[in-house]
Amino acid sequence: MDQLSQALVSGLLLGGFYAIMVLGFSVIWGVMGVINLAHGEFLMIGAYLAWGLFRFFGIDPFASLALILPLMFLVGYLLQITLINRIVERPHLMTLLVTFGVSIALANLAKIVFTSDPRNVAVAYSGSFQFAGVTFPIVKTIIFAAALLIMGSLHLFLQRSRLGKSIRAAAQNKTAARIVGVDINRVYAITAGICIALTAAAGAMLSPTQAIFPFMGPPFTLKAVTITALGGLGRIPGALMGGLVLGVTEIFVATYVAGIGTNLGVATSFILLVLILVVRPQGLMGGLRPVDAEAD
Amino acid sequence: MAIENANGLPPSTPMASDQQPLLEGRTVSKYFGGLAAVNNVDFAVYPGEIVGLIGPNGSGKTTLFDCLSRLQKIDGGKITFKGRDVTRARPYQVARMGLSRTFQSVRVYRKMTVLRNMLISHQWRNTSLLHMLRPSPASTARRAHQLLDFLQIEHLAHEDAGHLSGGQRRLLEIGMALMPDPEILLLDEATSGVNPTLIETIKDRIRTLNQQGKTFLLIEHNINFIADLCSRVYVLNYGEKLAEGTPQEILQNEAVIDAYFGA
Amino acid sequence: MTTAPPADKNGNETGKKARFPSLAPVHSLLAGWAGLALWLLLLLLLALYPYTGVSSLALLVGSQIFVLVTLASNWNLIGGMTGYVDFGHAVFFGVGAYIMAILVTGAPLLISPQWGFWQALPASGAAAALFALLIGLPTLRLKGPYFSIAMLGTLVAMREIVRVSRPITGGGIGLNLPPVLNRIGDYYLMLAIMGLVVSLIWWIQRSEFGQSLIAIREDEVGAEMRGINTTLHKIAAFMIAAFFTGIVGGFWAWQNTFIDPDGVFVETRTVEMVMMSMLGGLGTVWGPPLGAVAIYLLQNLLWSNLFELHLLALGVLLVLIVLFMPEGILGTLGDRSSTSLGRLLARFGRNR
Ligand SMILES: Nc1ncnc2c1ncn2[C@@H]1O[C@H](COP(=O)(O)OP(=O)(O)OP(=O)(O)O)[C@@H](O)[C@H]1O
Ligand SMILES: [Mg+2]
Repeated sequence: MDQLSQALVSGLLLGGFYAIMVLGFSVIWGVMGVINLAHGEFLMIGAYLAWGLFRFFGIDPFASLALILPLMFLVGYLLQITLINRIVERPHLMTLLVTFGVSIALANLAKIVFTSDPRNVAVAYSGSFQFAGVTFPIVKTIIFAAALLIMGSLHLFLQRSRLGKSIRAAAQNKTAARIVGVDINRVYAITAGICIALTAAAGAMLSPTQAIFPFMGPPFTLKAVTITALGGLGRIPGALMGGLVLGVTEIFVATYVAGIGTNLGVATSFILLVLILVVRPQGLMGGLRPVDAEAD
Repeated sequence: MAIENANGLPPSTPMASDQQPLLEGRTVSKYFGGLAAVNNVDFAVYPGEIVGLIGPNGSGKTTLFDCLSRLQKIDGGKITFKGRDVTRARPYQVARMGLSRTFQSVRVYRKMTVLRNMLISHQWRNTSLLHMLRPSPASTARRAHQLLDFLQIEHLAHEDAGHLSGGQRRLLEIGMALMPDPEILLLDEATSGVNPTLIETIKDRIRTLNQQGKTFLLIEHNINFIADLCSRVYVLNYGEKLAEGTPQEILQNEAVIDAYFGA
Repeated sequence: MTTAPPADKNGNETGKKARFPSLAPVHSLLAGWAGLALWLLLLLLLALYPYTGVSSLALLVGSQIFVLVTLASNWNLIGGMTGYVDFGHAVFFGVGAYIMAILVTGAPLLISPQWGFWQALPASGAAAALFALLIGLPTLRLKGPYFSIAMLGTLVAMREIVRVSRPITGGGIGLNLPPVLNRIGDYYLMLAIMGLVVSLIWWIQRSEFGQSLIAIREDEVGAEMRGINTTLHKIAAFMIAAFFTGIVGGFWAWQNTFIDPDGVFVETRTVEMVMMSMLGGLGTVWGPPLGAVAIYLLQNLLWSNLFELHLLALGVLLVLIVLFMPEGILGTLGDRSSTSLGRLLARFGRNR
């Protein structure tokens, strides 16, 4: 019983992180139709930024979000204008190849800049506390809380603000959005900025919990695809639900299937992904867009 | 090869009870989410017939075709072809049994030449592994050329199919459907986007083939086309069978007129 | 080709053929027996090459190029001809490499008498083909990007699985193979494998099987509806491609004498395969070998001038090729499965 509640809590905490990790990926896909295979690399960059700020300036990873978010927003904004804009609404194959190339380039750039030695961010509060007989690692609990907070604000932003409404309009019907006077390119650039910033923030928050290295990205990209398949495209509640499901599944597999460490999280999520796609190619929540645009 | 037929017209009432339907659907249903695209439709095509399938846009005609040709899993009912239950068969299996179809949105292999499109659409029923490891045999090529000739697109044989005009693609697709020498052809709006002279050609070809013993099931919005060719017509509306009968009966049917022209 | 060009009513097509009319006969000639004859002649020359008294480095370079050509041709069978863009094809390379290493080192727990290279090599291929069967049954049902992503997932997942299966695979530390230096032997073996694979692709492309693969690429639903057992054909193509990729992986492990998860289950190897095929011409017989040689030369240029930047440059190169040579590259993939693809690409070429 203890083991069960512990696994459940660990799974939910992990799931909270996954939810915030996937948001940027899922929104870019949902709004622009771009499957960003370089997603994990932006997470990696966020983690390295947090590491650098911590190592050289002593800034706490969570405090560093104040710097990382605007910086990476700018990066995302510029990236959208220069590169992603060229592949928006293009065939998926093209999107995949370009973002695949970006992912290879970024990972190897990181390898050149930071070498492949794993880096760690050793915060003072890396311990854990007990509550109701269950262990809560402090960092992961903060991540979970921060994830909920960020998702809540993003939700409000999308629902209430004018800009947020424009983004949702662009996601639903580009042509109509254009007709009613939405500047699609600006909306896209802002969306990309928000998404990249969010992803980097997730990486920064992750930095105290795991080693940072140049090739840490792809497993996160894969998990992002799985969560999107689970929870649907570009929807915050879906991301939360998909993230929690994947987190709990991973921890349960690690806890209850003999001889499998947490390292196999990727394999778990891969199997889950293929199962979902094979059983329901449109995703569990019907959220994945039909990709074969075989319009008559 | 050509089957003699007294007046050159298809038998008008094939309902002789001793005759087995060639293709039959019983209480076929297909839902998309909550939408009943095909709802409890009973359906039979007898050997040698030309049967029409009409109905307003979105009434489920194409979906019914997809069900009959096994491209869509059906949610209820049973489909038999040549007396065999094919409800769970895969499309290539019914194709090998002798069912060919064309598509409303034409499906040709655009990066292949017209001739190659034809060659690869041959009858796969008795194709051995050894056959598959060799280029198409001369006999297949002969048949392909004959059919291209028959459809008057022989001069395009070495063009990429993607370069053909819409009407030419429809003819090519009909040719591809004929390649395996099927027993029944399901044509989905074979005349849409085709110019009037070509429509006459298609009509003529269908008649000729029918006299040679081929059975047809046609989806059409072109009522004259249906009236000229078909011995029996089914009318679908909102996924349900609204009426069935000879073209004359159908054209005078109140419900049908309502469905087409009413509110 | 002698007929008048048909009226292009839809305007969907960019008419590549019309733009380079003089090349069309060359293409069709090379796809036929003339191409094979030239290829066999080239193989003969390559077989004589070591007799000109070359250095062992030249032999190593030769076998490395042969490896790339073989990989590109294999990838092209599934990614180019069948149209299933496999982002994880390196997984078969890795499986082959590991099977080779495990068999010849008699790795712990598994086999006591170690296998020789010649028994292990076909086993590498067979294992990869078997793996392709198991993985292809679910993934080949996926369409477009979902297949690509699922295969990328397979690659990443296998890397982790191999990393944690330490008793069998040596985990992250990897496996050491017995060092046997035989440059001339390696050269001829890879030459033979390459010769076989490219000739096989040439053969497949002419056969009804190959044409059915192209039909599947162009319109899978149509192919199935016209009597082609698409599942069977896709799996067969996938298994053939995996078999030879596994063989190459086994050979590579043997030649390299050391493998670890990060060295063989690596995305960049897939990127190489994709780029080589694209650069040369997807779905063609001779394009991928040409592209492989070009990429090898380019990489060496980058490697010697940019040194550790070269993988970064590889990624950038992929982006540039896709963005700025969409006709030369994607144009050949053109209308794969979705009719709007070619139109979109054409529009892309015009607008930007
Ligand atoms: N794949 C699908 N998913 C969801 N709904 C579908 C799908 N295919 C068809 N439908 C719906 O099913 C209904 C029937 O469509 P169908 O294409 O069979 O009509 P149709 O009679 O062929 O119309 P038309 O004359 O315009 O070709 C329509 O309401 C359509 O929107
Ligand atoms: Mg229709």
